[in-house]
Amino acid sequence: MSETFECGDSGALVAYLYEECEPEMRKEIAGHLTQCESCSSEIDDLGWTRQRLEVWTPPMSTLGFQLPVPAQESRLPWWRAPLPAWAQAVAALLIFGVGLSVGLTRGPAASPQVAATPPAVAASADTALRAELSQLEQRLKSEMAAIRTTASTPVRQTAARSDAPSDDILKRVEELVAQSEERQRREFTLRNVELARDFEAQRRIDMASVRETVGQFQGVTGTEIRQQREAIESINNFIRVSQQGR
Amino acid sequence: MTRTDEELVARSRSGDVDSFNQLIVRWERPIYALAYRVLGREEDARDVCQDTFLRAYRALPGFKGQAKFSSWLYRIALNLCRDWMRRQQRAPVSQMPEDVDAAELRSATEPAESIEDLVARRELSAIVADAMKSLTEEQRTAIILKEYHGMTFQEIADMQGCPLSTVKTRLYQGLSQLRKQLERRGHGVPALVKRI
Repeated sequence: MSETFECGDSGALVAYLYEECEPEMRKEIAGHLTQCESCSSEIDDLGWTRQRLEVWTPPMSTLGFQLPVPAQESRLPWWRAPLPAWAQAVAALLIFGVGLSVGLTRGPAASPQVAATPPAVAASADTALRAELSQLEQRLKSEMAAIRTTASTPVRQTAARSDAPSDDILKRVEELVAQSEERQRREFTLRNVELARDFEAQRRIDMASVRETVGQFQGVTGTEIRQQREAIESINNFIRVSQQGR
Repeated sequence: MTRTDEELVARSRSGDVDSFNQLIVRWERPIYALAYRVLGREEDARDVCQDTFLRAYRALPGFKGQAKFSSWLYRIALNLCRDWMRRQQRAPVSQMPEDVDAAELRSATEPAESIEDLVARRELSAIVADAMKSLTEEQRTAIILKEYHGMTFQEIADMQGCPLSTVKTRLYQGLSQLRKQLERRGHGVPALVKRI
C-alpha cells in the first residue's frame, strides 16, 4: 500500500525522524523538507531534543543479582549423586536377595515363609528371633546331652535296641541344625540390610556437610568478587579523575 | 559458546537456575536503566530490577516464547514500575546521579572531557530528567523505550497495548513537550541549528 505524505503529518515526521518509514515515503518526505520550512524546522527541533536525551544516563549502580542455586546434587557426577528413593529400595531388595541366595547355597532349601519375609518385618522381629535362637540352643544342648548319654551305653545294649530311636534323634538333630542355619541366614540378611541403611544414612550426613562447606565457600567467594568490583570501580574513578586533571 | 536467550530460557524452564542467572547477567542493566528512567530513583530501580527477574522466573513455565524474552521482561518491568508509581501516588523523581554514570565511564576511554564539560553534562542530565517528569506516563515510556532501548514502533505498540499510530503520536507530542520544557529551563534549540 503506497501512502502519500501530507505537510505537517506528525506521525510521518516521527517515522522519518526514527528512520522507520518506507523508502519511498522517506524519499518523499526528504524532498518535501527541502521545500517546507515549517516541516524542516520541526524535524530539526525534534532531532535536537533527541540529542539532549543522550546525556540522560542512569548511575552505574552495582547490580549482580543472582538466583540461588537450590542444590548441589545436580552438579555432582552420577556416581556421587545420591540415589533416588526407588533406586534405594531396589538396592535394599538386591542386598536382601543376595543374602538370601547365599544362605540358600549354604544349606537346604529354605521354607517359603522365610524367603518371603520382607526386611522391614525381619527388623521388627529381631527380638523375637533372639529369643527363639536361645530356645533352640537350649533344645540343642539337651538333645546333644541325650545323644551323649546314649552313646556312652555299651555297644551290646545299643545293638540290642532297635535303630528307630537313633534315626529319630538324628533326624531331629538335622532338623535343628537346619533351623539354626536358617536363623543364621536371616540374621545375616538382616545385618546386611541394616548395614546398607546405616551406610546410606552416613552418606547423607556427609553430603549435607559437604554442601554446607561448599555454600560457605560460595559466600566467601561472592564477597571477594564484590570487593574486587568495588576496587575496580574506584580505580576507574581515579583514572578518570586523573585524566581529566591533565 | 554464547547461548541465545531462547536456549537459556528453555534450559531455565527445565530447572537450570544457572541458565536463568546468565539471562539476568545479560539483561539486568537494560532493565535497571529502564526502571531508573521511569522511576527516577536508583534504589527503587534496583528493587524493581530484582523483582522483575524474580517474577519472570516464577512465571517462566507460562512463557511460551510467543514474544521475545527481552520484550517479555520489559513488559514485566514496566508493569512493576507502574505498580510502584501507583503505590507511591506520585510522579517519578529526578535524582542527580552521585555515582559515576555510564557516559562518564565511556568518556574514560575517549578523549578526556574537561571538568566544565562534565559538570555541564551532569547538569543537563538532571534538567532532562526533570523535564521528562512533565510528560504523561505513556509519552515518557514511549520515549524511553524508543530512545534508550531501540524498540520499533510496533514493539512499543505491543508493549503499551495501543495502535501504532498512537505510539507515533505519543513520541511526537512527548518530544515536542520535552523541547518546550528544555526551552523553559534555558536549554532551547540554538538558532544556528535551525535551517535557514
